Amino acid sequence: MAVASEPNVEEAAPAAAGGPWRLAWRRLRRNRVALAFLGLFFLIVAFSLAAPLWADNVAHTGPNDTHTLEKLEVNGEKREVVNPSGRPIGAQWFEADGKFFLGADGRLGRDEMVRLMYGGRTSLLIGFASALITTILGTLLALLSGYYRGWTDTVISRGLDVVWAFPVVLLGISLGLTLAVGGLDIGPLHLSGSSIWIPILIIGGVMVPYVARPLRGEVLSLREKEFVEAAEAQGAGAMRVMFGELLPNLASTIIIFFTLNIANNMLLESTLSFLGVGVQPPGTSWGTMVGSGFDLISTAPQLSLIPGTMILLTVLSVNVFGDGLRDALDPRSKLRLEAHAGIAEPEGTAV
Amino acid sequence: MRKLGFVLLVSILSAGAALGLSACGSSGGKEGGTLTGSYASFPDYLDPQLSYTQEGWTAMYDTYLPLLTYKRANGTEGGKVVPGLAESMPKITNGGKTYTLTLHKGLKYSDGTPVKASDFASTIERLFKISSPGSPFYESIVGAEKFAETQQGGIPGIKTDDKTGKIVIDLTGPRGTFTNELGMLFAALLPPGTPAKNLSADPPAATGPYYITKSEPGRGWSYARNPYWTKDNGPQIPEVSDGHFNKIEIKVVRNDSTQVNEIERNKTMWMQTLVPADQREHIINEFEGTQFRVDHPINLYYFWMNTTKAPFDDLKVREAVNYAVDSAALERIYAGSLAATHQILPLGMPGHEELNLFPHNIAKAKELIAQANPSDRDITVWTDNESPNDEAGAYYQDVLTKLGFNAKLKTINADNYFAIIGNKTTPDLDTGWTNWYEDYPNPNDFFQPLLAGESIAPTNNTNFSYTDDPVLNKKIAKLSEEPLGPEQEAEYAELDKAYMEQAPWAPYGTNTTSTFVNDEINLDNVIFNPTFGHSLASFELK
Repeated sequence: MAVASEPNVEEAAPAAAGGPWRLAWRRLRRNRVALAFLGLFFLIVAFSLAAPLWADNVAHTGPNDTHTLEKLEVNGEKREVVNPSGRPIGAQWFEADGKFFLGADGRLGRDEMVRLMYGGRTSLLIGFASALITTILGTLLALLSGYYRGWTDTVISRGLDVVWAFPVVLLGISLGLTLAVGGLDIGPLHLSGSSIWIPILIIGGVMVPYVARPLRGEVLSLREKEFVEAAEAQGAGAMRVMFGELLPNLASTIIIFFTLNIANNMLLESTLSFLGVGVQPPGTSWGTMVGSGFDLISTAPQLSLIPGTMILLTVLSVNVFGDGLRDALDPRSKLRLEAHAGIAEPEGTAV
Repeated sequence: MRKLGFVLLVSILSAGAALGLSACGSSGGKEGGTLTGSYASFPDYLDPQLSYTQEGWTAMYDTYLPLLTYKRANGTEGGKVVPGLAESMPKITNGGKTYTLTLHKGLKYSDGTPVKASDFASTIERLFKISSPGSPFYESIVGAEKFAETQQGGIPGIKTDDKTGKIVIDLTGPRGTFTNELGMLFAALLPPGTPAKNLSADPPAATGPYYITKSEPGRGWSYARNPYWTKDNGPQIPEVSDGHFNKIEIKVVRNDSTQVNEIERNKTMWMQTLVPADQREHIINEFEGTQFRVDHPINLYYFWMNTTKAPFDDLKVREAVNYAVDSAALERIYAGSLAATHQILPLGMPGHEELNLFPHNIAKAKELIAQANPSDRDITVWTDNESPNDEAGAYYQDVLTKLGFNAKLKTINADNYFAIIGNKTTPDLDTGWTNWYEDYPNPNDFFQPLLAGESIAPTNNTNFSYTDDPVLNKKIAKLSEEPLGPEQEAEYAELDKAYMEQAPWAPYGTNTTSTFVNDEINLDNVIFNPTFGHSLASFELK
């Protein structure tokens, strides 16, 4: 009961607290776990952004440079980067001045650490950019569908149903296979099959219904509120109502969807890249690294485990922070969830 | 009486021992039981007239027999064509244009249907009706091309007599490889009235020592002994072994590491797939000579360069690529399973004479690129997504990048790869990876389909470098009409050198394969034919 009563006290005096955003920030600051995972996420981002620095100044090699026949001098001893049986060198840590810090990535003898850092950039970029595409498109369709209703709603909703009807991974695979050969050519937009924007667009596209459908429901509900009627009575046009009145009221939901989509989309990228239809070789992402390391899983398991762990940590950090953000922006949702799980009394009883 | 009793006892024991020994076969192993094996994927087809992969051919090598067949033997001996369902090798007359053969008498299919000479005609007709990838091999039969178009009226170039078993085949011109082609599975006789459709799920009756009893595409298939083999077919076809197991069960196990584990734990007896690269070293150390051995199919792995497009229309650029590609690096990428080569005819193929016009020299390669100074440096490099071919493609892209090109790698799903790079309308077909496994042990098979101008086709093209040299085309055409002999082999060796001087490819190696069996199987007796792969009838228990 004490847990349930806390948000109500805060909500009772939002004006005194400095508005809903400041209130949310206060709630978020109190969620130490969410903040710790946000810190972890920033660390991962910093690690990935430092890729060129490490590649140029420590490893002295690029992510796609092959070293199959090269030998590494370690404490006066010559070590083969790839042995005649095709087994790559293991982690050298700082024994070779940082070269092959995590070993070689496979029979091509590429530096695993350099590829891991560059792979992180790719995975994060795909996660962010595709989540942005998903969120923008999803919000736009939800606003149009929920505000106009009628045939506009029917057309948009049925279109979303069609996309929703396909399992996400299967749809991603089919699109990935098709676009990997011929690329994408729509009017002035031309993307080659190996462009990183292909997986971004595929993932961003297939996830749209998962954002648009719930947002549409919220728009339908907001559409009936008095503030919308008041705006229309004052002569506000459709654009003004959608973007000036409805959109700000959707902001907290959109932010939550955006963060959670980053994690989901990174996972989808990993799956598609693992299956060979995401990031195209020799480009690297954590998903492609898990996939290529899988061939050597019995002799060099670290080649799959390290990028796999990076995916796990990133997705976990974004998800935990996303949950914290949701609790901060929409405290009622936490109560609803807890009530559903039987932790606390249902919302109505608490109030 | 005592003496007589002793003699009788000895006689009975001796007879018993003799019977026991004969039942065990000539090599002394146990007979009967079930051979269990695994494939990494279901073969392309379990229809002898459609399958065009070694996996499929292995599955049907001891099941469907053509008039002629390839000797059940390892190495070059396995390249010899011997009589199969025909009594003897063909009589070739009319300047190499007429082939006459006679069918053994009293042969039967596994369902009891008698084998007739006219089945050969209906079999070849079915090839065209189902648009078999093997049908081009038989287009030189008089009237075959017309039949391919109309699919009516039969093929006049095939005359058969069911009473005598005589088969006469007339060709439009002499064809030195036709004996080899008669030994391919595409020409294996099938019962009359076999439906003209893919029969992988319900394979037709067979003439060999085994027939397929059950097929579940994607999951596996089973064999049993052909009930008519021992009495009717086998005694007349001594070149084909009777087999040692009563049944054979093959299942699809997609993970090659699981396949290895199952053999080590005696859950299966044999894996058709190459052992996984990361376990190769361990398997060699532990099982070589007892349960594992390396086999040598005849093949070539190479990078093709489109000679009709910049920058590869310049000989200097192609030579530079040949100097820059390092077979030693590729040997490691293929985890030691690849043997380096730098020419068109691989080791083991008649006409092969060691040749290396472009020993690895990166400085020389860069010098040639500087001389050529190509204006177009944007290159698309094609490869498939199967390991380690994808890594070979990535290596090649890195080599081209180091030579100063802006090389982009395009990795395509292996199922569609050859259809895509064999389609002339596919954009940016600049250069890429490919391989070629022999159809039969005749050097013509490495020139006519891969380098002759006539083989350039808008779809299903196999001449990826679009090589079309009129002088060399004529030489290929001339040699294709002649039966293979020492003189022709020398000419093929010259042809190899002449093409390598034009450097349309950067050949880098021939890949080996492996036989890995459990400890119950006698490894020494397992036959690996370089064209067809393992002979299932050769497997026997120790």
